[in-house]
Amino acid sequence: MLEPILGSTSRERVLVFILARKEGYARGIAKFFGVSLDPIQKQLEKLESGGVLVSRAAGRTRLYELNPRHPFVRELRSLLEKALSFYPADERERLVMNRRRPRRRGKPL
Amino acid sequence: MKPIGEMAVAELGAYVASHLRGRDIDVVLSGGSCVSIYSRGKCVSMGLDLVNTRFAKRKRIREAMAEIGFQEQGRSFTHQDTGFLVEFPAGPLAVGQEPVQRVDELTLPTGTLRIISATDCVKDRLASYYHWDDRQCLAQAVLVVQANDVDLGEIEQWSDREGKGEEFRRIEEKLART
Repeated sequence: MLEPILGSTSRERVLVFILARKEGYARGIAKFFGVSLDPIQKQLEKLESGGVLVSRAAGRTRLYELNPRHPFVRELRSLLEKALSFYPADERERLVMNRRRPRRRGKPL
Repeated sequence: MKPIGEMAVAELGAYVASHLRGRDIDVVLSGGSCVSIYSRGKCVSMGLDLVNTRFAKRKRIREAMAEIGFQEQGRSFTHQDTGFLVEFPAGPLAVGQEPVQRVDELTLPTGTLRIISATDCVKDRLASYYHWDDRQCLAQAVLVVQANDVDLGEIEQWSDREGKGEEFRRIEEKLART
């Protein structure tokens, strides 16, 4: 949807995923969209290099989020939120309605 | 001129920035090394963030840096004679959501360094404190306020515009009593 503006479908996937989930890691984003890891990884690196995303290590995983200090972050959020509102309802729900509350280790589902 | 290996952070910044300016590449020093300069060395940073304000291509920067002996290593540039790392964060030059309006200049024997003002340096540190609760950055902001004529009123207004007015008022005393 934003490919004509962002210039890349992978970039849109990365940004929309991170907007919806607050944060994301390469393998998780690639798995969610059913695409290969490499283009997602490249976009995460480019966006971080451009200051749009920031990352931190969590164990052996690198977690990315929108850079709250980027001067266009509010406008970018607005654009992504609007794009997300145009996503098919099932895909939007899948993106947004993930479990975020903690789950004690060993607790049955 | 002083050898690169003996240059302090501001001297090295001025040297690199002047060389780049001669290649039509405009940079402004931001980030932790500004704290180093404005705190008179009370806080040490080994990384120079030279914001690439006119979006020069990386290839041009790489070539210009190579002329003065800096080699690209990942995102940074290193030189065999100094431990300082030079990086070129993508523009625009901003503090939080706002463009930097005023850039100061330091003229040193090694060249001229364009640098964000002490007031913007405090905003830059507070932005990291506000968004990531980074206490080191708050301590650095305090160091800059202690050693410079900083406009706390402007910082309060900026904090309000960033949606962080309440946070500013919680730390105002810490900044003001310095």
